[in-house]
Amino acid sequence: MANPSPLLDFDVATLAQKLRVKEISPVELTEAYLDRIEAVDERIASYITVTADAARTMARTAEKEIAAGKWRGPFHGVPIGLKDLCYTKGILTTGGSKILGEFVPNHDSTVWTRLGAAGAVLLGKLNLHEFAYGATTNNPHWGACHNPYDLERIPGGSSGGSGAAIVARTAAATIGTDTGGSIRIPAACCGCVGLKQTWSRVSRYGVMPLSDSLDHTGPITRTARDAALMLNVIAGHDPNDATSSREPVPDYTSRLGGDLKGIRVGVIRELNTGVSEPVAGAFTAAQKQLASLGAAVEEVSVPSFVEGALVTMVVLMAEALEFHEQWIRERPGDYGADVRSLIETSMTITAVNYVRAQRERNLMLAEALNALQDHAVLLAPSQATAAPKIGDRAYDMIANMVRFTGPFNATGQPVVSIPTGLSNEGLPLSMQIIGKPFDEVAVLQVADAYERARGPLPLPKI
Amino acid sequence: MAKLTANTAKAMARELYGYELSEESAAEVAAAAGAMITRSRKLGNLDLSGVQPSFGYPTLIAEAERIRKRC
Repeated sequence: MANPSPLLDFDVATLAQKLRVKEISPVELTEAYLDRIEAVDERIASYITVTADAARTMARTAEKEIAAGKWRGPFHGVPIGLKDLCYTKGILTTGGSKILGEFVPNHDSTVWTRLGAAGAVLLGKLNLHEFAYGATTNNPHWGACHNPYDLERIPGGSSGGSGAAIVARTAAATIGTDTGGSIRIPAACCGCVGLKQTWSRVSRYGVMPLSDSLDHTGPITRTARDAALMLNVIAGHDPNDATSSREPVPDYTSRLGGDLKGIRVGVIRELNTGVSEPVAGAFTAAQKQLASLGAAVEEVSVPSFVEGALVTMVVLMAEALEFHEQWIRERPGDYGADVRSLIETSMTITAVNYVRAQRERNLMLAEALNALQDHAVLLAPSQATAAPKIGDRAYDMIANMVRFTGPFNATGQPVVSIPTGLSNEGLPLSMQIIGKPFDEVAVLQVADAYERARGPLPLPKI
Repeated sequence: MAKLTANTAKAMARELYGYELSEESAAEVAAAAGAMITRSRKLGNLDLSGVQPSFGYPTLIAEAERIRKRC
């Protein structure tokens, strides 16, 4: 096999500089990514649909515009992938399901409308856990997605294809969605950056729902800076999504590049338990690294987070049933066994359970805000272990993954998952940096400072 | 722990949703849901009197307006 193109080594921030001054061409760059997909994706299965012809057309348009001096911004000519939950007009959008296996939307999701308008090149639609309802991306309809660091392991989910594509270098940046951890879990399993921004910060229009009050759409990228650049493009009110926020959109890169002097960081006691030795070791080392950058790191308590994942699961399952209720009755055999089982279990959740869980969300956020009163950000591990093996039925996804990520879907706070290193087995480990609602700037500031101090992770050998 | 039997789970699925659970699935659902409902009851022990559920009236107004414009 030919060596991968050196163009694949550049993050979005670097690509933007080189594309703008015509040092590299969008057409050449897109071809490099399409070649990479051709070379490795049979083993990874990060994509459900590769839109090669459309990508070439978009790349040619970008090239002409940049040559004419009409540079649209950092994503102009940059090849990206979208989780196949995001509507794309005229392009197959399956939700990772058999039920929507031939669905072609007649309009775009707002997230793609904005990225497309920013000049991004769409390489294709990325693999996911069926209907985003699970954390393995062991998809029975479109093929299991594999972790590029160890092909026998899961990439996490539900945005598994979006995470795998970043480290397999089959996309420069991707979009995922997160209802109980589905951006952060694949970012943690695959060793990349996943940003679940504040609920309502990014429009959900044209993104298949799993749970309306918990769903978030956001970036999965190589660096914190790339996540900030992507959020700059996709954030902001959308008239098509009444729940999208009218809060002003800041420049999310505004505080990148500095140190952490004077910043106070709180480690959430209730989530810093029950993790494997490698996760604990890397998490402790990361805290020391933050302290060496000038941050004051201390323990804080958010007691309601002990049952935080339960609150998220009750709300998630009740709302997901409302979306799937007709299909589960009419086409139960077209669901994978695990997703069908979750939907079936939802049928026993009562209105009292649901409303009480919704009420509990206020308490969780109140306690989190209390901890954030004296701290710019909070910290917690992203998950209890590194990525488990594909098909490991004994692995408890709630206890090992959603317990750490789910509480922040209930509170809607911004969170970035960032790698803290590799285990002795060569598997990525990760932590979460959590902020106040709409303070993605602080979350990204800390993530960026840590990331630069940590240095680059070794890439997977594929 | 909430005593949700397989038969109860089957009856709920059938009566509320017109959905037939297999014997095997009913047992799995009863076990999973029983544990979840038991833990959910803990939420009822918290003093949340006067705390509103997290639903927003501004969203209700905005969504109604969006639908009205579509009609």
